[in-house]
Amino acid sequence: MMATKPKLAFYWAASCGGCEITITELGMRLIDVGDLVDIVFWPAAMDFKYEDVEKLADKEIDICFFNGGIRNSENEKVARLLRDKSKILVAFGSCSHLGGIPGLANLYDLENMLERVYDTAPSLDESRGTRPQPVNKVPEGEIELPALQPRVRTLAQTVEVDYFMPGCPPVVDQVWAVFQAALAGKLPPKGSVIGAGEKTVCDVCTREKGMSGVRITEFKRPHEVELDPNICFLRQGVICYGPVTRSGCNTPCLDGNMPCRGCYGPPEGVLDQGAKLASALGAIIDTDEPEKLQQILDSIVDPAGLCYRFGMAHSILNELKYGKES
Amino acid sequence: METNTSKNFADEVRAIPGGEHVEMCYSCGTCVSKCMIQQKVEPDYNPRRLLRMVMMDMREEAFASPTTWMCSACDLCYSGCPQEIHISSVIAAVKQLAIQNGYTSPLDTVAVKEEKCSGCGICVMACPYEAPHLIEKDVDGVMDRFAEVDVNRCMGCGTCVAACPMGAIAREGVANEDIVPQIAIKSKTTPSLVVFICDWCLRVEEDESILESYPDNVRVIHIPCSGRIDPQMAVMALASGIDGVLVCGCAPGECHFKRGTYVSQCKIGLLDKLIQQVELPEQRVKFVQIGTQDRGRIRLEIDNMLSSLEIVKEVA
Repeated sequence: MMATKPKLAFYWAASCGGCEITITELGMRLIDVGDLVDIVFWPAAMDFKYEDVEKLADKEIDICFFNGGIRNSENEKVARLLRDKSKILVAFGSCSHLGGIPGLANLYDLENMLERVYDTAPSLDESRGTRPQPVNKVPEGEIELPALQPRVRTLAQTVEVDYFMPGCPPVVDQVWAVFQAALAGKLPPKGSVIGAGEKTVCDVCTREKGMSGVRITEFKRPHEVELDPNICFLRQGVICYGPVTRSGCNTPCLDGNMPCRGCYGPPEGVLDQGAKLASALGAIIDTDEPEKLQQILDSIVDPAGLCYRFGMAHSILNELKYGKES
Repeated sequence: METNTSKNFADEVRAIPGGEHVEMCYSCGTCVSKCMIQQKVEPDYNPRRLLRMVMMDMREEAFASPTTWMCSACDLCYSGCPQEIHISSVIAAVKQLAIQNGYTSPLDTVAVKEEKCSGCGICVMACPYEAPHLIEKDVDGVMDRFAEVDVNRCMGCGTCVAACPMGAIAREGVANEDIVPQIAIKSKTTPSLVVFICDWCLRVEEDESILESYPDNVRVIHIPCSGRIDPQMAVMALASGIDGVLVCGCAPGECHFKRGTYVSQCKIGLLDKLIQQVELPEQRVKFVQIGTQDRGRIRLEIDNMLSSLEIVKEVA
């Protein structure tokens, strides 16, 4: 008699689809995955419906990889459904873990955001004043759209999460390592961050690092400066998220001569990645001409977008704005 | 310790850049009257006396003197010296000779926990005294990079502690685990306010006692330098239900640790920008720089902050 294979599910909520692509990047190894497990739900790649999940018994799915934040009522409904049906729920990728890029919408209230998207965006010829409606009457009857929620939430702000796997997207080698650990029953204690390192990106970055007395006199954006590939970005006045970002990504951005964007989230002990970045940056701004300090700070374009590029929904500032999530 | 050098001590000090003006001192003592270290922590601290020791060839006494080790080069004395001697440079020259002669700093200095350090070099760039530097070291056959601290340069200000993202560098009393637990107010009286106060910006005892005159809705947390502030601590305070955070440092040009007050200005300035963009009330976190002439201003700043917080609360 064949032993029953572990059951796996993948789902995407408010995300771009990159997390799905990272799974397909497993390439031929996906065939091994297919031999070892039963994929019971993966709407991006295979034909499944929500009814298929609803028919499963509670906790019948052994492990569910859930990518994307919670932006609308459908995201929330499926998150709750998959939580009920899964023994292990993994927040997979930055959006699920921290809110990700969609979480930046939390800087604005919902109506301002809709106005921008539907009325004032420069790419619109003219506004028709339309807004997405939860229920629309069409000649064939009524159709429903998921309702937008006032803000983006992380998966853990919505349901209980067992593991967090950071990355935008998580790099494929880490995905493979986590699959193998999960199949071997060798995952760490629940609540852990998996598929990532312990220290920060700087730990694995090979660039020449900070020197005494070398400080930032002007912040520049990457396209405004010819970047030396061998020297720390911060030393070159370009903001790099490396010091406040967990290692484990294999540094594709740095190898491409672009600064770290922070997608692997905060390391252990950092509670608010953006405030910590402000703490590190503030300490390395040059002070020879104190009257210029404000000017240097003003050279940072879109500070909140920068400091909370992936972590807005997860941040303490978000909590202060919207109240603490359950 | 006998030395075999043919030069006398004063010549040696003069030979070090910065030490050359030592003989111009005529011992008026204005430097001592300006010095906060002498007034606040160490009565035996005395630049005038140290310069005198140099001229009188009192080598060992100078090396062992607290003045040699405790000067943080704030340079408040420089503007007062009628002979325009850059006294902190002379003291630094004495300190350099002391180190060459095997003396080490008696101060509480920071140390690096290598198991946490990522070798990012933020502390190296942050330190006003160039105390940390990066080293490479073999760890189980792999070369890894860590920060290391020159204890003879570290003045213990804690600017690196706040800048370090990993909590990998600290000294006792200044670590996150020493400061963060103090951010708590039990009082039901509102508004509640946490005041982070730099150990040096209040110059007289009367100002210190003003801090103690507030009821327990005002929590005062002492930090060695406003450069020790981490914006994370401010947002954590607000998230715990505290209404406001006031950070006090020295006036520009008067910072006891040279650049700590600018560091704090930059950090709180950045935090302000974040708070504005997230559209939270802006008055809840404030940084003030208190100068040597600002006696009594601390009461004004705390009272102003409390009343503006009351308005924020009413609006909310």
